[in-house]
Amino acid sequence: MSRSTAAQPAKLPSSPRKSGTTPLKLATQTLMSATSIHKSYRKGTLEVPVLKGVDLEIAEGSFTAIVGQSGSGKSTLLHLLATLDAPDQGAVYFQDRQIDNLPSRQREAIRNQEFGLIFQFYHLLPELTTLENVLVPKMVQDGFFSYLRNKRAYKKRAADLLEMVGLGHRMTHRPSELSGGEMQRTAIARALISEPSIILADEPTGNLDEQNGDEVLETLNSLRNQENLTVVMVTHDANLAQTADKTIRLVNGKVV
Amino acid sequence: MYKLLLSWRYLRTRFIALASIISVTLGVATLIVVNSVMSGFVFEMKSRLHGILSDVEVAAPLLGQIHNPEYHTDVIRKVLGNDIESMTCVVRNPALLTFEVNGRQWTQQVMLLGIDDESFGKVTDFHPYLQNTHKREQFSFNLEEHGYPQWVANGCKDWIGESAWDYRRRKFQKIRQAETRRLEQERLYDLAAAEYLEQQAAKSRAWDANQADDSSATASTAHYDSVDSSEQPIAASPATFIGPQAPDRSSAKKSMSESGFQYVPLPEKAPDFAALHAQRAETASETKPSGLTLAPTHFSQAGGKLRELRKFSPVDAHARFRDEPNVEEFFNPEEDQYTGIILGLAIAKRKTIIDGELTDFYMVRPGDDVQIMFPTVGGTAKPISENCTLVDFYSSNMHEYDSSFAFVPLKELQKIRGMVDPLTGDASVSTIQIKLKEGANLDEARDKLIAQFPPESYPYDIHTWQDTQRPLLSAVNMELTILNLLLFMIIAVAGFGILATFFMIVVEKTKDIGVLKALGAPSSGVMSIFLGYGMALGLVGTGAGVILGLLFVRYINQIAAVVQMITGQEVFDPAIYYFSEIPTIVSPLMVVLVGLGAILIAVLASVLPALRAARLHPVEALRYE
Repeated sequence: MSRSTAAQPAKLPSSPRKSGTTPLKLATQTLMSATSIHKSYRKGTLEVPVLKGVDLEIAEGSFTAIVGQSGSGKSTLLHLLATLDAPDQGAVYFQDRQIDNLPSRQREAIRNQEFGLIFQFYHLLPELTTLENVLVPKMVQDGFFSYLRNKRAYKKRAADLLEMVGLGHRMTHRPSELSGGEMQRTAIARALISEPSIILADEPTGNLDEQNGDEVLETLNSLRNQENLTVVMVTHDANLAQTADKTIRLVNGKVV
Repeated sequence: MYKLLLSWRYLRTRFIALASIISVTLGVATLIVVNSVMSGFVFEMKSRLHGILSDVEVAAPLLGQIHNPEYHTDVIRKVLGNDIESMTCVVRNPALLTFEVNGRQWTQQVMLLGIDDESFGKVTDFHPYLQNTHKREQFSFNLEEHGYPQWVANGCKDWIGESAWDYRRRKFQKIRQAETRRLEQERLYDLAAAEYLEQQAAKSRAWDANQADDSSATASTAHYDSVDSSEQPIAASPATFIGPQAPDRSSAKKSMSESGFQYVPLPEKAPDFAALHAQRAETASETKPSGLTLAPTHFSQAGGKLRELRKFSPVDAHARFRDEPNVEEFFNPEEDQYTGIILGLAIAKRKTIIDGELTDFYMVRPGDDVQIMFPTVGGTAKPISENCTLVDFYSSNMHEYDSSFAFVPLKELQKIRGMVDPLTGDASVSTIQIKLKEGANLDEARDKLIAQFPPESYPYDIHTWQDTQRPLLSAVNMELTILNLLLFMIIAVAGFGILATFFMIVVEKTKDIGVLKALGAPSSGVMSIFLGYGMALGLVGTGAGVILGLLFVRYINQIAAVVQMITGQEVFDPAIYYFSEIPTIVSPLMVVLVGLGAILIAVLASVLPALRAARLHPVEALRYE
């Protein structure tokens, strides 16, 4: 966690980004990159290669779609980018810094503060209310007392985010009382609470009907524009991929 | 923060957590209750066992004696120094106790203790166990006027004496009246007999005179006729046939009257026994202080017997050392008592059924006289017996003691048993009892005394009260240890319950764990969620268990009563356990230890599942769906 302050002094005063329309797009800096990533899973004695040398670059503020058939390794690639897993070969860079080989503490801190993760199955904690679910990354980030100190500010931000995703009226509801779209929008709010530099979404609409999926995408898009977010999204929806700035197509573990 | 929040939420939302909490609660409550009851029981039992046993005891063997007890107490004081609280000398010997129950002799063996009025109560818990309330405060071997508890009255319906002296007076008054009546009756019989004889004598005199007048040898029939006509119908009775012997009898009567025998005025007729009876009954009931009423002197035979026996006792040689110079002193049982004796309550108490109800029956009561028989000291022990007046009961509720101990004054017993040196007047004892100060080490003191009086040179048996009751105490201690061990197993079982529950919860929460890790929660954080969860379970369960256990202990007797009411089975029988209610002692240390142990077990049981949760790979965890 100590790392974050050193790594991105430019990011902390993030509020200007909210107001800024597209001034930073000029820079088109590379925010994240991966070089010749190999990953294979073991099934018993058999080694199943999933990724066979993938290279990619994600520009800051861009919307990247990763597409491919199921089993092509797109989710695995996203997990590797999110440092949830480590590649067998190759390296992942974030803000010009190799992150796949960092100690787990630092990776956890990056996940917590730089990445916003959105999953196909929302993955909300069923015991917590919508508001608390959004606050979880902040709870994880802060110690007990610093959380209590900042609780008011965090709650305000979480409430704002929920308002933004259109769930201002459902803050005290449990996930079980929400529809799929509402849950996914809660997950988006959770992904945004730490003001991340990049959103990594794993088929966020995969489990939703068309209407809900569109709503979620709309929300995501508007937020992306508002907060100038970089988004990497795994999807198998061709239409969705077409709206992306850049599409990475994976076939049999390689970028085509 | 999320750790606490999630622990708390898991605790609140998992129904299965309730099962774990309940198992911990029950385990903790059971441990507290059983421990409290057991330690209460042990404490009560120890204090009862200790009861009239002194801390340390230097005892001569049976029938043996410790000569010069002053020397011994000095030595003991020197050896044990400041540890000594107080000391007393006791004469202890087995004896036979005899008393009368409804005219029949009841004999049983007792352990007779000659105790010093003052110091014995300081060494042992003797006084609180006495039944008479005055004696508890101001001890003596005298029969009291008041202060005997009501049970004595309740036990026996025919005896309602409120105080022992009342009872004694009434009892001996009754005996005296009966005796008076008996003597009166005897006298009346004598009178009747004398009267009859007198009549016969008169008759024979008349006959003699007749014979003398009518010297001619008339036919005896004529004589018979004359007798028949002149005399009363009595003549027809067979008694007349003793006629021929009458002259001898009359002479005897004459000699009697000559020797000053006073005849009561003769009735006209032969004695009417029914009338006589009625008359006697009248005399007996209305006029007590008649000339015939006996003075109490007449039946002090019991005392007389004792005094006779004393003449044969070996002590008699030392009669001049006795306090009572006048052996033939007038003894009135309505006014006087013999040497006081205090008996264990169980010696006298029996169960009987009065009006279909099981009631206590006291075979002897304060105020009754009993007889004790015991051997004198020395190699050629001879039995001696002594009358005593029961002055009080002793009840420690330890049946072993209550059914065997009898207490008499030390000095009396020393005199009677011949323990007083005729030349010097020094009295020996059989046991020296020592009470040590609070916290003094009994075994150490005993060992010091053994070193001072080694068995090679001194025929003494030196032991602590715990040595005396060793088998029972060690059995109880072992019971307590094993019980605790077994009960701790209960909590351990609860621990395994938590373990299983937690594994289940970890499996159930795999996805959540994956999410938390994906959101940057470290493994240690995930682990502490489950450790915290276990601890929360332990805390809540223990808290509830402590409260439940303490409440149970607080109201255990009421609970026992309710259980008894429902099941009809007596949960706690005071007669078996010697206690009127279930004794409990709550030791704060025990409660704290049990609580900490339970929490520790809960945490330990959650370590494995927590580790498993911490090791979960986020990707693997998230793949679940």
